[in-house]
Amino acid sequence: MQYGGAMTSCCRMWDTVLQISQFTKRVDVGSVAAMANYFNSLSLREQLAELGKCRFMHLDEFTEGVDALMGKKIVVIGCGAQGLNQGLNLRDSGLDVSYALREAAIAEQRQSWKNATENGFTVGTYEELLPTADVVLNLTPDKQHTNVVNTIMPMMKQGATLSYSHGFNIVEEAMAVRDDITVIMVAPKCPGSEVRAEYVRGFGVPTLIAVHEDNDPNGEGLALAKAYAVGTGGHKAGVLMSSFVAEVKSDLMGEQTILCGMLQTGSLLCFDKMIDEGIDPGYASKLIQYGWETVTEALKYGGVTNMMDRLSNPAKIRAFDLAEEMKDIMRPLYQKHQDDIMTGAFSSGMMDDWANDDAKLLGWRADTAETAFEKTEAGDMEISEQEYFDNGILMVAMVKAGVELAFETMTAAGIVADSAYYESLHETPLIANTIARKKLYEMNATISDTAEYGCYLYNHACVPLLADFMTGITSDVIGKGLDLSDAGVDNARLIEVNAAIRSHPVEEIGAVLRGHMADMKRIV
Amino acid sequence: MSETQIKLEDLSVDFDGRFRLDDITWAITPGQQWLIAGANGSGKSALAAVLAGEGDHISGTLVGLPGNVALVSYERQAELIAAELRKDDADILDVISEGTPVSEIIAEVCLDDALAQELVATLGLKPLTDRAFRKLSTGETRKVMLIRALTSRPELLVLDEPFDGLDHDSLEWLQGHLAALAETVPMVLVLNRFDECPDFITHIAYVDGGQLLHQVDRSDEQSLAELHQLIHLKTSELDVPAADPAMALPSLNPDEPLVQLSKATVRYTDNTVFENLDWTIDANEHWQVSGPNGSGKTCLLSLITGDHPQCYVNDIRVFGFQRGTGESIWQIKQYIGYVSTALQWEYRVGTSLRNVIISGFYDSIGLYTKSTDTQKAIADDWLHVLGMAGRSDEPFTGLSFGEQRLALIARAMVKHPPLLILDEPCLGLDDMNRQLVLALIERICRSGNTTVLYVNHRLEDAIPGIENHLALG
Repeated sequence: MQYGGAMTSCCRMWDTVLQISQFTKRVDVGSVAAMANYFNSLSLREQLAELGKCRFMHLDEFTEGVDALMGKKIVVIGCGAQGLNQGLNLRDSGLDVSYALREAAIAEQRQSWKNATENGFTVGTYEELLPTADVVLNLTPDKQHTNVVNTIMPMMKQGATLSYSHGFNIVEEAMAVRDDITVIMVAPKCPGSEVRAEYVRGFGVPTLIAVHEDNDPNGEGLALAKAYAVGTGGHKAGVLMSSFVAEVKSDLMGEQTILCGMLQTGSLLCFDKMIDEGIDPGYASKLIQYGWETVTEALKYGGVTNMMDRLSNPAKIRAFDLAEEMKDIMRPLYQKHQDDIMTGAFSSGMMDDWANDDAKLLGWRADTAETAFEKTEAGDMEISEQEYFDNGILMVAMVKAGVELAFETMTAAGIVADSAYYESLHETPLIANTIARKKLYEMNATISDTAEYGCYLYNHACVPLLADFMTGITSDVIGKGLDLSDAGVDNARLIEVNAAIRSHPVEEIGAVLRGHMADMKRIV
Repeated sequence: MSETQIKLEDLSVDFDGRFRLDDITWAITPGQQWLIAGANGSGKSALAAVLAGEGDHISGTLVGLPGNVALVSYERQAELIAAELRKDDADILDVISEGTPVSEIIAEVCLDDALAQELVATLGLKPLTDRAFRKLSTGETRKVMLIRALTSRPELLVLDEPFDGLDHDSLEWLQGHLAALAETVPMVLVLNRFDECPDFITHIAYVDGGQLLHQVDRSDEQSLAELHQLIHLKTSELDVPAADPAMALPSLNPDEPLVQLSKATVRYTDNTVFENLDWTIDANEHWQVSGPNGSGKTCLLSLITGDHPQCYVNDIRVFGFQRGTGESIWQIKQYIGYVSTALQWEYRVGTSLRNVIISGFYDSIGLYTKSTDTQKAIADDWLHVLGMAGRSDEPFTGLSFGEQRLALIARAMVKHPPLLILDEPCLGLDDMNRQLVLALIERICRSGNTTVLYVNHRLEDAIPGIENHLALG
């Protein structure tokens, strides 16, 4: 998942982009149609090799520190939360960081200019800074990458390095970067404010790095990416070495299905069901708005196993059965999403919508704002932490089904388990947190336009798909909780269910990765 | 003034399992003005918070509380700041969140706009009303809390350490204002420093170990004298625990000053905090820094620690490094021990008291490295000195404000840093612990290995051995 505001990105974050994208939009339309897809240009063998790249790096692989970047001139493009906070960390690590802004942003002293200047950074125009830059960090939203990269490439010096935080532009839009330029990716897996806060504490956030093999003329891409990760503090929290392809294909899949799609569909279905069942609308709204965050918090600490263990035994067995049923119903949909991502059909469909002034995206966004869930204020009743589990059995089942299906589908498509884990289970709590803040509006405003588009695609297919299933649902699994006058269960059945939950592959890799992270994380 | 008596009978109150008040029996009769006294961690603030409706009542009764009780406390201040920081944390939009402006924070609870205007002007907050609340200095946020309380038309005013952190002028004004207000509004004050007890206080409640041990009418001189004695327990002989021999720092050039600022300037688009400030700190030259709230004391210190981003656009040489020439911030911080209220706000990680002290060896907030047995032993020695022996494994976040402060002071001193920066270290400390901390600082000044920069407002907290003085604003 990429962190970059969809709605805000256009108007506030990168001051300059709006104007460029307006006059180049028509050009894009032509080039999109003609544009190749990088992944599709690879042989099957190469595709599988790229998808299979993902390795958790150990701390002793970072003994060179920031040496590879020391004394190099680093220029950041995009002074939003990622751009600013990463820059602050890199500078505090001893590196030379400055910010390139459009002339208008400087002349009018816009927010991006203020952010950079008040923090004591050198600010200059592209023309002033890019020709002497050794490393350019492109921290703008993906949708603008084609414009940004086409604009800056001619100004970059021979042998410089271009860094991305998301591979969409390279993989799906087949951006051909000049042969002499090294192309790397360094993507902290947290919002910008946290990237800074953790660094200041003396720690960091988990970070994904990659080198674009076609653009590594001097073979120094990996050393540069590692140094960059050290400069932001990421090496202390854990670095995953991946590839552009694996990052894009797994990122898109995760965000469309479990991370955003499933939570949106689940919110709408659960709310409507509770209203049908006569539950107080304020209560229903609150149970969902804060429920995702509460149940996925348990997921963050101890995976699906711990989330399920928070339920009573009878409730756990019910949630398990519901999840199994939903997995069977939704499996073809997850496969279709993965297939469309792999063939490039998803990207080209979305780019058609870009070319059509985001007609679909904006329409779907407006529809979401009109849903009953979105329009019903959360009530002011108290709901205890445990009650979110007890009365939200169906929500727990939906999270379990979505996480497992996304993971199974990604790994079946050749994405390695580590990547699949990070792009499904690991990020679910972060997205759930946005719903707690301001419901679906906030989630969709927060995620990238790409994720939002994919989320709506999923939702439109998934709601009708689950319609039959939902007719059999009553308030005992959503809204009221089981009547536990008899909490007895059959031992054999419970053992069987527990074993099935614990032996799922997402739990196996999760235990390993959370173990790594715990080793590196706070010693409490 | 209200005619109802506030009555607590055998009241036991739990604070999230962190703290408990037991069997409190207390009556506040109209016309009485109370002071709650006691040591750090005794339950003073908890008792005050009960009057503002906090905590879970386990048994007993509480009747007669008016509907509108205003509470000013470090805990409330911390909650408000934490809520603002959370807004920032949770912000996964790729934009920089600006936070809620001061004017909005005040307007949230204000029922008397005219008074608010007057207070904002009197306390010198006028230029700051558009600024984000979380960007204010410690003293400034405290003033905002006071304004919120005073303008909410309270029927009972509960002020927990209202005088701490205020500059001289504001302090004098507030004391006058409260004295006038005491005619019409019942008040309960919590003060760590007995010598600050205002004249209008009629009764004193002494709390220890979560129990209300003594209730003294101020006109009863005998009881008052006994209470004084109880509060002024003398500090025992103390030894500063040793540093960790395994953590030796790269040595400094003895001929070079520790810190050299040339024409230091901190400027934002809308204001200049200070400009053209020259300052050289030589080893073993201890300094005291003073100035009114918002004069830039903390800002100046953060140029030295490297926490202020504008340290890179100033001519600053620290510990042999010219800032902005490829050094990392951790190379600077290794020479510094630091404590401030801002640090305390930021220290929001779940870890034990012992680990908080050990984190001083690594300059981190939280502990991310395995500590050695030596370090654990040193941390425990410190806890012994602070009168907190045997509490090493308690979670830091469960401690009272004053106890947290003591732990952070130990964290700052634990590695015997070449430069020890103490930004109002005694905030929130009771008389006894204040004496203890001042004595520790004095010892460290005399040791010859550590140079001390000490920020405070109170002349009576001067430390023998600190002879240089820098006045700001």
